[in-house]
Amino acid sequence: MNKTITTLMAAALFALSAGFVHAEGDAKAGSSYPKQKVVYHVNTDDAKTLKAALGNIQNHINAVGKDNIELKVVMHGDGLELLKTANTNPDMQSKVVNLKGQKVEFVVCNNTLVGRKINFKNDLFDVSEKDIVPSGVAELAKLQQQGYVYIKP
Amino acid sequence: MSNEQQFSDEYLNSFVDNELTIEEKSRVYITIHQDEALSRRVCELRKIHEVVQLAYKNLPPPPSAQPSPQKSARLRHSVAAGLVFVLGVLFSWFQFGASTNALRHDVQNAANGLFARVVAVVNPTAPATRGNQAMHVVADASTQEMKVLFHLSSGEPEHIKKVLDEAESLLQLYAQQKQPARVEIITNGQGLNLLLADRSPFPERVSQMQKRYSNLSFAACQNTMEKYSDLGLDTRLLPGTIVIESGVAQIIRLQQQGWAYIQV
Repeated sequence: MNKTITTLMAAALFALSAGFVHAEGDAKAGSSYPKQKVVYHVNTDDAKTLKAALGNIQNHINAVGKDNIELKVVMHGDGLELLKTANTNPDMQSKVVNLKGQKVEFVVCNNTLVGRKINFKNDLFDVSEKDIVPSGVAELAKLQQQGYVYIKP
Repeated sequence: MSNEQQFSDEYLNSFVDNELTIEEKSRVYITIHQDEALSRRVCELRKIHEVVQLAYKNLPPPPSAQPSPQKSARLRHSVAAGLVFVLGVLFSWFQFGASTNALRHDVQNAANGLFARVVAVVNPTAPATRGNQAMHVVADASTQEMKVLFHLSSGEPEHIKKVLDEAESLLQLYAQQKQPARVEIITNGQGLNLLLADRSPFPERVSQMQKRYSNLSFAACQNTMEKYSDLGLDTRLLPGTIVIESGVAQIIRLQQQGWAYIQV
């Protein structure tokens, strides 16, 4: 009797735990892709690459569905140019605003802010404390460990 | 004298599994280069290692996801897996003790940890290189050792310097945070220049970093070295560099083992 209860409990626990894992990988109805977590790594100030990166991200969201993806852009070093440009360039700015409207997070490296004496409030477009991480590179490693897929445009 | 006896199978397996410290690894490499028999032996072990890796990749999904024709077999599987899960929970309970760490782990981490535990218990790695390997897996899932690889394929000194700077500041950060970590800089193509004795733009920096960070290794792609060799270039490497058969294959292998990839 005792044995039966124990085995049943064990099976129930396993079913529960399997449920956790399964829910994670389940495809969302309406999209042909399972849920995705993606981090884009931006550390260049090359205007062409930056523009292409934002285009890639938009296409990526279009393909997967904005409610089906958690997407972050981690910027460090020269990559902060993206938000510097967005401060003055209306085209870049509207792209960033658009992506933020689709829940894209733009993450800024504090090492770069300090090292290059950048005032995030004045020099960068729409950055607040919550967007700043101590180290861009460490953030990239952490996110990958949390299951984010790395893309370098 | 033959070096065949110098390294035990267990030691060489650790080498192939990338579990040795950089000093140990470079000692093996130096010896391999001088000893063809040993080189062949390592090559064989590597093949076995790859086959084992491949076998794990092709493992069938967990029993719950697999429709089984036999009800009783399915129940047995569920019960076995359930027991493993309970063990896992108990184990992590003991590990975390009363600390609040456990609370901070979100559902996904819990699920990941569970998976690592199940794998560790159900499939003890065939070449048991270290006695406490199963323990390693469990510890990795909970103490979250950070493993980061930097891929360097450009020979531009300016770019190489950026990679070294980023790797170093990451290592410093982890050291400050007392965060267990391993970092590997994998070079292929023109990136090999960093590690070539006669053309490295930063030989002293490499040697300094090797001394300062025992958890850092520099890897050179053998395919690239062979290409350089064919062009008549000198392929002697800086001391302490490890040689990998293929940079790309190593990058894939490490990512499959949970390493984060960064291209500066």
